[in-house]
Amino acid sequence: MAYEALDFYDIDSLLTDEERMVRDMVRDWVDEKILPNIEKACHDGVFPDEWRVDLGEMGILGAPLEGYGCPGLSYIAYGLICQELERGDSGVRSFASVQGSLAMYPIWDFGSEEQKNHYLPKMTTGEWIGCFGLTEPDYGSNPGDMITRAEDKGDHYLLNGAKMWITNGTIADLAVVWAKLDGVIRGFIVEKGDPGFTAPEMTGKHSLKASVTSELVFQDCKIPKDRILPHVKGLKGPFSCLNNARYGISWGAVGAAQSCFSSAREYALSRIQFDHPIASFQLVQNKLAWMLREITKAQLLAYHLGKKKDEGTWIPEHISLAKMNNVDIALEIARMARDIHGANGILDEYPVMRHMANLESVKTYEGTHDIHNLILGRHITGIQAFTRES
Amino acid sequence: MGIAVLLKQVPDTTAKISVSEGRVDESTVSKWSMSPYDEYALESALQLKESGGGDLVAITCGPARVVKMLTDAAAVGADSLLHILVEDLSALDSTQVQTILAAAVAHSGSDIVFCGKQAADTNAGSTGPGVAHLIDASCVTMVSEVTPDGSSLMAMRSSPNGNERVAVSAPCVFAFDKGITELRRPNVRGIMMAKKKVAETLGPADLGVDISTSSVSIDGHTPPPQKPPGQKFEGADSVAAVVGKLRDEANVI
Amino acid sequence: MDVTVIAETSGDGLHPVTAQLVGAAASIGGTPTVLCAGGTGAAEAASISGVVKVISVVGDCFETFDSGAWAKALNSVTGGDVIIAAASPSGREIAATMAAIRGIPIVQDATDLTPGISVTRPIYSGKAIETSTVTTPCAITLRANAFDSAGEGGSAEVSTVNQSADVAVAVKEAIAKASERLDVAEADIIISGGRGMGDPVNFSHLNEIADMIGAAVGASRAAVDTWEEIPHGMQVGQTGKTVTPSLYIAVGISGAIQHLAGMRTSKYIVAINKDPDAPIFGVADYGIVATWEAALPALKEELGKL
Repeated sequence: MAYEALDFYDIDSLLTDEERMVRDMVRDWVDEKILPNIEKACHDGVFPDEWRVDLGEMGILGAPLEGYGCPGLSYIAYGLICQELERGDSGVRSFASVQGSLAMYPIWDFGSEEQKNHYLPKMTTGEWIGCFGLTEPDYGSNPGDMITRAEDKGDHYLLNGAKMWITNGTIADLAVVWAKLDGVIRGFIVEKGDPGFTAPEMTGKHSLKASVTSELVFQDCKIPKDRILPHVKGLKGPFSCLNNARYGISWGAVGAAQSCFSSAREYALSRIQFDHPIASFQLVQNKLAWMLREITKAQLLAYHLGKKKDEGTWIPEHISLAKMNNVDIALEIARMARDIHGANGILDEYPVMRHMANLESVKTYEGTHDIHNLILGRHITGIQAFTRES
Repeated sequence: MGIAVLLKQVPDTTAKISVSEGRVDESTVSKWSMSPYDEYALESALQLKESGGGDLVAITCGPARVVKMLTDAAAVGADSLLHILVEDLSALDSTQVQTILAAAVAHSGSDIVFCGKQAADTNAGSTGPGVAHLIDASCVTMVSEVTPDGSSLMAMRSSPNGNERVAVSAPCVFAFDKGITELRRPNVRGIMMAKKKVAETLGPADLGVDISTSSVSIDGHTPPPQKPPGQKFEGADSVAAVVGKLRDEANVI
Repeated sequence: MDVTVIAETSGDGLHPVTAQLVGAAASIGGTPTVLCAGGTGAAEAASISGVVKVISVVGDCFETFDSGAWAKALNSVTGGDVIIAAASPSGREIAATMAAIRGIPIVQDATDLTPGISVTRPIYSGKAIETSTVTTPCAITLRANAFDSAGEGGSAEVSTVNQSADVAVAVKEAIAKASERLDVAEADIIISGGRGMGDPVNFSHLNEIADMIGAAVGASRAAVDTWEEIPHGMQVGQTGKTVTPSLYIAVGISGAIQHLAGMRTSKYIVAINKDPDAPIFGVADYGIVATWEAALPALKEELGKL
């Protein structure tokens, strides 16, 4: 059967033709390329290179960026792309989020004209893969205290330190790395093959198995002077990137939840116990109704936030709310869907356990669930509660 | 060389069809799609345009909803779009549909026409041969590939004994079976371009076609008859009986 | 009411569906004249009961299939209030072209006719049935095996008419049918094997039957996972292909919910399984409780008789 996305409040009718066409294009691609192959990719622990090529050919990488060969789509369209990709798998959406929002965006917003012309056209076509180095082994929610350092050596910079949990790291052609230069956080572009730079892959994940996760290691890594992003200083740089990526995640989570809902509904209607489809039992209906309710609310959050992104009337706290809420309910829906599938829910025949395991990562990365609560808490009270110091 | 492709929007082949008050209820169709054989016709038309030049016009007939399908055709490379506005296509008889489409082809100035061998809703297969006659063109059906060959065109068609490579000259109509090449996917660039290609909408009267009297009137639609409950037979001796039922009851072999 | 029946041929002879066309013509009160394109099957057509006349239309144009030329030649021989042909690819095409030349409507793929003329036909791939009334003159094509055949024992007069038309289609090359097997996602008939087949070698029996009826061969996930000779591309089910053929034959497949998810919307399902309690029987239209070793040879034999 063709996939019919849950759209209880007809969000579809709010979309422009262009947005709908982009959504359908990605939806068809996910049906055709991701769903038949995702379990094998997860099993093998690889992100198939063919997917990179296709994403580039469709022209959706760096979706909301304009110029330099980039698509220039609306933020709503970017959200829909994330939704459809994550309906396939969070790992595929992660690839696109990192490429577009975390690697291309800082170059586009904070880079020099030369940097933009050099990197962006090849990144939007997928020819070059980017990654984003902020988190460190000992600094996750607290990136401001990062250890990675850059030194100005006159005709070059010297980088020392390590980054961790870096999506796309090992397969990336370039990394946007945040490091302290004279105590101030700055962005640097490190290319594959730069002396002193390695990106070993992290293995053993139970989550995002079709996504490459790596460490970035800098040991007296020498890069030319023109690789610093000239137009940003401080945490504002990485946080700007994260705002866009988190926005995409708020849509992506809806896609994963829709996939789980759709599988659970279909299963409940076809699974017979006590002579009746389990969908006819009140406890199962209660679960399905809760899923529908939460997905519908999440869709409205994501859509309205998208409108605010397109209008430029958003604040970062709006994004925190949507990312936190939508991932939270998606994870709960995945668990509930697994429950409805009974023992069959643990099999790779169904997408639910994979989504569930993926969403555990998504709940934690790009600002953990709790950190987003603290962001909102600060917004409400005016008192920051991240640290004991005032 | 002008190339036209005739497209029809149909309920997606996976969509449920429901009947209420004796008619198929179109409002319950969850997804409308380009008829599958038309997709191959469009793909082949695009390839011919790319190899030999010429303008490709996508033509369709139907209510306002069908324009979306034309825009999809534009997103993969159709140059212009022609929509003949007919509120209820199913009320027209084959002669009327063919006359409208033939007039639309003439309006577009095309002399090479691509279409599907049949549409997925009616599964009739009258349009290609009918339009061919009306525009005085030769017709090849069950086509899987069309390539330019000097001043003529070479088409691969299936025949009862295999495949045949046949040559025809314009004006001609190719009615497509499943094509041999993969269908192209749209991309963002194409979708942005499609935004700028506005469909020309005409009524049948604008083309000089009168659709006031149809010689076919639909009396009603019904859901397919309920299948009898499953029957179970014991032992291999029952195979003959089952094969008989497959032929006579189920009509599937 | 004069009915022109376009004879359906098969190789050098008449296709049995022609007798059904004649039977249908009689059922709406028509007097059938049978046209034999290129003269094929004329003598056989004359022996169909109820046929009043057989016209063997011969000419150079019948050397190559060109519906435009054939329709022109056939149309110039006779008119008729109703043209009836088989809903085969060539029947549909010739009838549609004849109708267009005469400017009369055509209704394709009818499964029932009553005088009047009321036409029943499946639409949306059989998801709905349409009944319509068509005024004469008109053309109608009929689905094979939906109408009763006229009997034998007729002795209609056979006349031969020389009539050709310009052929616009030139055959440059004939390519023999390749014996490549269909993909399950595209086939109209699928025969699938499960782990009950015992050994991947035994899929050869499924292949033989598939070749006889133009089917694709599928497999359950259990078979694909157990035997590396059975590729994933054959898998029908939740993580394999979802299929909706007209006929799905499940052999040695118990019917796990994941398999059913991929094939339960098939139009007709035949299950062959030795376990009478196998869940596959719950979705089967025709269930045969037997081992595949016993059932498949019988199936081969019966299909061979068709």
